Amino acid sequence: MSAPLVAMFGVCKRFGAVTACDNLDLEIRAGEVLALLGENGAGKSTAMKVLYGFYRADAGEIRLDGKPVSFGSPREAMARGIGMVFQQFSLVPALSVLENLLAAYPAAPWLQFRGRARIAQALGWLERLAPALDPTRPVRELAVGERQLVELAKVLNLNARVVILDEPTSVLTPAETQRLYGFIRSLVAAGKAVVLITHKLADVAACADRIVVMRDGRAVDRALARDRTPEDLVEAMVGRDSLSVIAAPPPVHESAPVLEVRNLSANVQGTQIRDVSFAMAAGEILGIAGVSGNGQYALAETLAGLAPITGGDVVLEGVSLASCRRDGAISDRVAYIPERPLDNAVVADLDLGFNLALRRICMLRLFPDRRVMMEQADDLIRRFDVRPPQATLRAAALSGGNLQKLVIARELSDTHRVVIASYPTMGLDVLAAEAVYRSLFEQAACGACVIWISEDLDDLLAYAHRIAVIHGGRIVGIVRRQDASRQLIGRWMAGMEQGKAA
Amino acid sequence: MNGRLVPRLLYGIGGAAVFLVLSSVFLLAIGRPPLATLATMAVYAFGDGYSTSESLVKATPILLCALAVILPAHLGLITVGGEGQLYFGALLGTSVVVNFPGGPMVALLPAMLLLGALGGAVWSGIAAVLRTRCNVNETISTLLLNYIAVLLVDYAVYGGWKDAASLGWPATIQFPPAATVPSLFGTRVHLGLIVAVVAAVVLHVAVNFTRWGLGLKVLAGNRKVGAMVGLSFASNTLIVMALGGALAGFAGISETSAIQGRLQSGLSVGYGLTGFLVAWLSGQHFLRAVPIAIMIGGLIAAGDALQLYSKIPSASATILQGLLFAAALGSSGLLGRREERHG
Repeated sequence: MSAPLVAMFGVCKRFGAVTACDNLDLEIRAGEVLALLGENGAGKSTAMKVLYGFYRADAGEIRLDGKPVSFGSPREAMARGIGMVFQQFSLVPALSVLENLLAAYPAAPWLQFRGRARIAQALGWLERLAPALDPTRPVRELAVGERQLVELAKVLNLNARVVILDEPTSVLTPAETQRLYGFIRSLVAAGKAVVLITHKLADVAACADRIVVMRDGRAVDRALARDRTPEDLVEAMVGRDSLSVIAAPPPVHESAPVLEVRNLSANVQGTQIRDVSFAMAAGEILGIAGVSGNGQYALAETLAGLAPITGGDVVLEGVSLASCRRDGAISDRVAYIPERPLDNAVVADLDLGFNLALRRICMLRLFPDRRVMMEQADDLIRRFDVRPPQATLRAAALSGGNLQKLVIARELSDTHRVVIASYPTMGLDVLAAEAVYRSLFEQAACGACVIWISEDLDDLLAYAHRIAVIHGGRIVGIVRRQDASRQLIGRWMAGMEQGKAA
Repeated sequence: MNGRLVPRLLYGIGGAAVFLVLSSVFLLAIGRPPLATLATMAVYAFGDGYSTSESLVKATPILLCALAVILPAHLGLITVGGEGQLYFGALLGTSVVVNFPGGPMVALLPAMLLLGALGGAVWSGIAAVLRTRCNVNETISTLLLNYIAVLLVDYAVYGGWKDAASLGWPATIQFPPAATVPSLFGTRVHLGLIVAVVAAVVLHVAVNFTRWGLGLKVLAGNRKVGAMVGLSFASNTLIVMALGGALAGFAGISETSAIQGRLQSGLSVGYGLTGFLVAWLSGQHFLRAVPIAIMIGGLIAAGDALQLYSKIPSASATILQGLLFAAALGSSGLLGRREERHG
């Protein structure tokens, strides 16, 4: 085996009292995918940010090509061929894809000097990554998955030899994920080293050569991918024998529908939903599957009552939503966990206490009692394991996964008639996702209609009572769990076949 | 918040040092001993009872106009319309006096002040409605409305409201005592100062400790989430703009009535824009705006005195004022950026 391209010895990184990275040894080899596996907060991202020059290590040594290096900034790391694609992208939304790619070169911002050769060079990788993407489109119009590919092209343009991907599949559709896996394999075949930071076993199974499992800042297991079963890896990640399996929610009793959606049409930020109809009994969990960008967001916002209905109606317990709605305000009978919580569900500049009290803001006293608010917040934070557990922290200080937990704490701490959850476990590790599923299913057990939009077909197939597939803004089919299969749902998702409502 | 006290002190010290250097360079350039001149100015501003009272007179409209900027800023709105609201408030308030000059004080004075405040609220409300209905940027609309209000006052005092007895001087009739805002302690300091300080305290409490203030923070931080929990950006925009405008309008009518005694062209010497700068210097903080407005009032009053007694053109006080703003805003901006980078 060749000498490692990058070797890290005894790297430590502390943030105050927290040791994010504890005496970590790591080797990254050319022509190999290293999966860095672990739960949220295990220190995977921190370790790689130290390598990328984003953080400076408190102790330890990093060798590149056998020589000790110390990067003071990502720019230096970049110059030596180490590139990283973050969970939060660093693209300029107002600029086009091409302009973003050009601006990444060290010679930027001299954008006006863009000769044909430079443009061809900048677009080279993008054409291989996303052939269908029009480089003149502004980045703000792109879906998250497309943005990630642009970000990746940006890194590759700078001749990165080591490409670090931070949770790349958490924002991608199944098809995009498959394409990314293929692309990662081809990068490795071309002699590059890829580090895949992930908490998904599917990622590991699909394209890892070697695995390092991290827990609490330490590498707890290192092995070749083919030597480990998924059970081994989960055990290493969570540090206990087995996950308690969540019982599938019991079947619902046949009853008159509580929630009826009739020929619903709406237009939310340019995405349409058309003629959506379904009915739900109390306690039912309806999974909504689909390739992202096919109207899931529009459907969720409309059902939550946040977007105007252009046709049809939503009837909850005999009352029409279209007729009795305060302008844009969410009804207290509906809980809503939107996608992208930072944009859609929290106020980043306010502290956790305020954010947890947001739903009740119009019912607070004229002079709200801060102490009571904070006590209630502390309680919710403890129950839903939001970290760090400080109600006075600004919401912007939380990681994506903890932000998600914060929103879930606010929305699911009371019982509601309808629960709409868009990608509720996005960015969460196994344990946290399990807790979210529990609260979601608890709502159903208390009689709520749970509308669960997800990209995780396996989870939908395991837990939802029925699964609806959305394509092009229409529900193309609804199927009971026991009649569903991956193949059927996959065909519906691709829009190849029209199903029948079940 | 203790952790933020030190950098704030640093801004203060840094800003003062930069101002000292800049003003010394300027005073040396016009051939004046820098430290002695600055010391003289301090004496002219706050050296005795009379000069202090004159500084407070200048500070009153400035503080009111600053509050008119700070309140909308808490909803994320940037208005520069203090000047226009001040003028239009003065115009509407004066209309009462011009039409009923012989009215009894108990009716005339409240009607005049109320209409003055209403004028400012309407002027600011126009920008608010444009913002919420047509999505017109409030900074641009308030800026342009300034010019219209100033010219409307000119139109009135050069036209129909010109006092025949003033020998062609463009001004209305002298306000009767029944329409004169009462002054305090036998000085020219008037009721407006008390109103301004009380307004600052009330707004501070309302914005920082009430449900309404919390709603403003939510809307300023994430309008979509605000709408989701039942808060209306449109009605809150109207409320903060109208309230702010009312304060600026009150500044206009009280200045006209108590200080100038009649409505005339050029009634404000940039109080509206000075108020805007005070608002930014205070970090959009109602209570901090009070001492800053008084300090700036002192600087302006001292400039007048300098011209009178030391034969230094009063424009130099305006220049010094500009240097002070540049130093304070520049140093807080620079230190703020450092903090961000290390934080």
